[in-house]
Amino acid sequence: MKYKALIGLEMHCEITGTNTKAFSSAKNSYSTTPNENVRPVDMAFPGTLPVVNKEAVKKALMASIILNCKQPEYIYFERKNYYYPDLPKGYQITQETKPAPVGIYGYLDYYVNEEQKRVRINNIHLEEDAASLDHKDSTSTIDYNRAGVPLLELVTYPDFKNAEEAVSFLETMRSIYQYTNISEGDSKKGQIRCDVNVSIMDENLDETKEENWGTKIEIKNVNSFSAVKDAINYEIKRQIEAKENGTYDEMEQQTRRWDDEKQETVYMRSKVDAIDYKYFIEPNIPKFKVRQEWLDEIRMLIPELPNERKEKYIKEYNINTKDAETIVKEKDISDYFEKCIKLNCEPKEASNWITTRLLGYLNKNDIKIKDIYMTPEMLTEICTNVKTGKISSQQAKEVFTLVLEENKSPEEIVKEKGFVQNSNEAEIIDLIQKVLDDNTEAVNDYKNGKTNIMGYLVGQVLKASQGKFNPGLTAKLLNEEIIKR
Amino acid sequence: MSTFTKEMVEEYADKLLIGLTEEESDMVLSEFDTIDKNIDIINTIPNIEQVEPMSFCLDDFEVDLREDEIEESIKIEELLQNCDEVSDREIEVTKVVG
Amino acid sequence: MSYMDKSIKEIHKDLVQKKVSSQELIDESIKKSHEIQEKYNAFVTILDGAKPKEVTEELISGIPFGVKDNYSTKGILSTGSSNTLRDYIPFFNATSIENLLNKGAIIVNKTVLDEFGMGGTGTTGHTGIVKNPWNPLHMCAGSSAGSACAVAAGVYPYATGSDTGDSIRKPAAYCGIVGYKPTYGMISRYGLFPFASSLDHCGVLTRNVEDAAIVVNAMKGKDKNDMTTWDSSKIDLTKSLYENAKGKKLAYIKELCNIEYYKNADETLKKHLENFKNTLSICKELGIEVEEISIDEKLLNAIASTYVVISCAEATSNMSNLTGIIFGPREEGKNYVEMIKNYRTKNFSPLIKRRFVIGSYVLQKENKDRYFFNAQRVRRLLVDEWKKAFQKYDAIILPVGTGPAPLLKESKDVIDENTKALEEHLQVGNFGGFPSITIPNGFINNLPVGVNITGNCYEDEKVLNIAYQLENKMNYKNQIAKENNDEI
Repeated sequence: MKYKALIGLEMHCEITGTNTKAFSSAKNSYSTTPNENVRPVDMAFPGTLPVVNKEAVKKALMASIILNCKQPEYIYFERKNYYYPDLPKGYQITQETKPAPVGIYGYLDYYVNEEQKRVRINNIHLEEDAASLDHKDSTSTIDYNRAGVPLLELVTYPDFKNAEEAVSFLETMRSIYQYTNISEGDSKKGQIRCDVNVSIMDENLDETKEENWGTKIEIKNVNSFSAVKDAINYEIKRQIEAKENGTYDEMEQQTRRWDDEKQETVYMRSKVDAIDYKYFIEPNIPKFKVRQEWLDEIRMLIPELPNERKEKYIKEYNINTKDAETIVKEKDISDYFEKCIKLNCEPKEASNWITTRLLGYLNKNDIKIKDIYMTPEMLTEICTNVKTGKISSQQAKEVFTLVLEENKSPEEIVKEKGFVQNSNEAEIIDLIQKVLDDNTEAVNDYKNGKTNIMGYLVGQVLKASQGKFNPGLTAKLLNEEIIKR
Repeated sequence: MSTFTKEMVEEYADKLLIGLTEEESDMVLSEFDTIDKNIDIINTIPNIEQVEPMSFCLDDFEVDLREDEIEESIKIEELLQNCDEVSDREIEVTKVVG
Repeated sequence: MSYMDKSIKEIHKDLVQKKVSSQELIDESIKKSHEIQEKYNAFVTILDGAKPKEVTEELISGIPFGVKDNYSTKGILSTGSSNTLRDYIPFFNATSIENLLNKGAIIVNKTVLDEFGMGGTGTTGHTGIVKNPWNPLHMCAGSSAGSACAVAAGVYPYATGSDTGDSIRKPAAYCGIVGYKPTYGMISRYGLFPFASSLDHCGVLTRNVEDAAIVVNAMKGKDKNDMTTWDSSKIDLTKSLYENAKGKKLAYIKELCNIEYYKNADETLKKHLENFKNTLSICKELGIEVEEISIDEKLLNAIASTYVVISCAEATSNMSNLTGIIFGPREEGKNYVEMIKNYRTKNFSPLIKRRFVIGSYVLQKENKDRYFFNAQRVRRLLVDEWKKAFQKYDAIILPVGTGPAPLLKESKDVIDENTKALEEHLQVGNFGGFPSITIPNGFINNLPVGVNITGNCYEDEKVLNIAYQLENKMNYKNQIAKENNDEI
C-alpha cells in the first residue's frame, strides 16, 4: 500500500519591525540584559491595561494582504486563558477566528524547484509573545523583555504533500517578512517557531474529502526549518509504520513534540486532554474599524517582494533561475546585490561573486551579510578593477578573501600586496624576450604551425611576472615578438 | 436540573489553581443552581440566539490605536521590589519543567 | 471647629482665606480616621505622615481625601482588601489618583472594600468587616464600604470608589451619602485593580452632588493607558448643576417600584417604596415630569444572573495574574503549579474562589453559548430597553435596594435565588456604561435610604442637574452619620 501525507503548518513569527511591543509601549528589541525593556503591563501589575500598537496592526494587515486574505471590518482581540510562569497575566491577548482576526481565508503561491505551488491560508492573527524562561539547576528565572512582543501566527490548511513543500513555503514566508520589514525572521533568536500537523492517507483516496483524512498528529515547538523537515519526515515514517503493523487505528488524535537531540517526536497529550482556553473578547480593547483607505495605504506600502525581484533578475539581468532564487531568498543579500548594481557593477559579475564566494563565506562562518566588512562598494570596486584590467581575476579572488578576513579595503590590499597589474610594455617585452629565449623549442613548434602553444607561452610570461602582468596586453605583445623571431 | 456536578466543581477549581473545601464546593453548586434556573428563563426569551452578544460597555465606541513610540522602561528595582524571590535582574521560581 | 464635615467649596474658601491650613485639615482628617477605624474598621492604611500641599485655585487643593484600596497608589500599600496582595506596594499611581494629586489633593487613607470589589456587603475584606456609621450592627454594603463609611462619618469630603455592579451607589444609599459613577470611559481605569473590565467604573462618594461633580471633574480625562477612555475635556460637570430642572422628564419602572408586584412585601419594603413615591412627588414639585414605564419582568429577573455570569467570567481571567510570582507573598511548592495553587487557595476568600469556579464554568467551550453568550445577549436586551427609555426621558429614577442597610449578621454574599430585581437593577447601569448617581432620600428604621438617577451615556450633566436640584429640595444634603443603636 502506498500513502500520501497531508501537512499543515502554524507559523509564529515575531514582528521585529516595530519600535514598541504589541500592547505596551516598551521597546520591542532583543536584549541580553534581562528585564531591560519592560513597562508595567508586561509584568501584569494590578490595574495595568493593554494599548494596541498601530504599527503592529499595520504590519499584520500588510501580511494579511500579501497572503490574499480577507481583512475584517472591525478588529477585536481575545484572551486565551492558561497558567504558565512565562505568562504574567495568566492569559495571552490574541485573536481567535471569531469574530475575526487580521486575515482569513487566503493563499500564497510559492516555488519548489522552480515549480509553482499554492497553499491555502486559514487565517493570520496578531498576538503577543510570552516572557522567556532560563533554566538553572533547581530554579528557573523569568525575563520579561520578550513578554508582549508582537507575534504573527499564520495557520495553513493541510495542503503540503511533503517536507520539502512545507520548508519551501516557510522560506518564502520568511523572505516576505524580511522584505516587508515585518520581521528579521531569525530563528536563532527564536523569532520563528512552528507547529506542524501531519496525517497520512491511502494514496488512491481523494484528499479533498475530509472524511478520507487520517488521524491528525500535531507536533509542537518545532523551532528551525531543518527541524520542521526532520519532524515531518519522522512523523510520516512513524505513521506509515503504524499502518503497516496494524496499530494505526488505535492511534488517537494527539499532540507530540519534536526532540531535537533524539531526532524523534515524543507524545505529549491526547486530544481529549486538550486545554480549554476559555477564549473571550478582551474587554479593555474596544473594537477598531479597519477603514478601506487605510488598507489601500498599506497596500501601497508593500515593497517589491522576493518573487518580483526574482523575475526582474532573470529577465532584466539575465541571471539564471537558480542564482536569482538564491539571491532573493534573504532580503539583506538581495539588497546587497541591488546596491552593487546601483553602483554600476555588472549584474552577472555581482551575482557570481555573491552566490559562490560571498554566500560560501557566510555559511562557512555562520554570519550575516550585514556583519561582514565588505560593503557593496568594495565588491563593486573589485569587479571594476578586474574589468579595467587593474588587477587580474586571480588577484581579485585573493583581494576578496583578504577584505573579508583582514577587514581592509580592496585598495589597501592591492597596495599592500603590490597587486597592481603591470601594463608597462617595455617591462613586459623584456620578460617576453627572456621567456622566449628559455623556450626555443616552443618557439620552433609555433613556427612549424603549432599555434596553440601560444597559450602556454603567455602562461609562462604571466607566471614569471608573478601574475602582475595584464594578460591581454601580454598576449598581444607576445604575438608581435614571436613573429620577429 | 443542573448539569454541574461536584466532581466538575473540583476539576474546575483545580484548573484555576485553587483548592476548595467541601463546604465551598457545596455552596458553588447551590449558587450554580440559581444561575442555571435563570439561564433557563433567559432561554425562553424569543429569538434570544439571534441577539448579538454585548462584550463592551459602550457598544458603539471605536478607538484610535497607539502610535509606535517607545516609553522609558521601568527601573529594575521597581519591577522587582514586590517580588520575594529574585536572582540578579530576574524573577526566580522553582524549576519549570515541561 | 471642624472642617472635614463641610463641602469642598466651603473648605476651599476658608483655605484661600487662610482661616485654616492644609496641615490642620490633614490633622483633623487623620484624627478622625483613627476614631472611625476604631469604631467601624473602614481603613486598610492610615497615612499618619501625610504632607500638606499648596492651596491653588483648584477646589480640591490642600484637602484630604480617601482612596479605595483597589486603586494603585505609588509607594502606598495597595491590597484590594485581599490577602493575595497584603504586602503589595505599587510603583505607580492609578491615572485618576494621579489626576487628583496633580490638582493638589492629599491622600490620608486607603479604604476597605470587599475583596477586589467582588461583594456587596463590606464584610469580605482581608482586614475584616466594615460597620455602618449610622448603626454598627448594620452593614455599609459594598464593595466601596470603607469609602462610604468614612465620607458619611465626616473623615473628609470625598473618597474614591469603584463600581462594577452597584459598588458605589449602594453603599452610598446605605450610608446616607452621594455615590456617582460617570459614563464608562470618562475616568481612566488604569491602575484600578480589575474585577470585571467591561463593567468596572471609577467614581466617587461625597456628601453632596456638587462635590461629586467637582471631584469627577478632577479625576476624568482621556488616558493613553486606557483605550476605553474618551475625551471629555469640553465637559464641565458642575456647569449644568444650577440650571432649573423644570421640564425634564423622568421615568420609573412600574414592575420594580409598585408594591403590587411584590407578594408578601414586608413593612420595610412598603415604607421604602412609599418613600420613593414621595421623592417622585418632590420631583414633580420641581417641574419635572415623571412617568411610569414597563419592562418585561423576565428581563428584569434576569439582571442578577446576567451580572453574575459576565462578572465572574471576566473576574476569573482578570485575577489570573495573582500567582505570587511577581508580587504578593510567595508560597512554597515543589513546582510552579503547587506554588501558585497554594498561594491562591490560602489567600483568596471563599466567596471569590466560588465565583472563579462559576466564571470558569460558563466560559468552557461546551457551556459558553448557554451561559456566557446568553448573558451577554440579555445584557444587550436590557441596555436596549434602558436606551429606548432614554429616547423619551432624560433619566430613569429608581429606589436603591429594597430598603436600608441590612444587619451584618444577616449578611450573605451568595447568589440568592430570591434576589429581587429591585435589589440588583443598578447593575444595568454597568451593563450600559450609563452615568448613574445615588442620593439620600430619607430614613427608614433610623437608617438612611437612597434613590438613584441614571441617564444615557455621555449625558452626565443631565443626570447631575436633576440630582442636584432634587437634593436641594430634600433635607439630606451634607448629612453626617450619627450613630443610633436603637433598633425599630
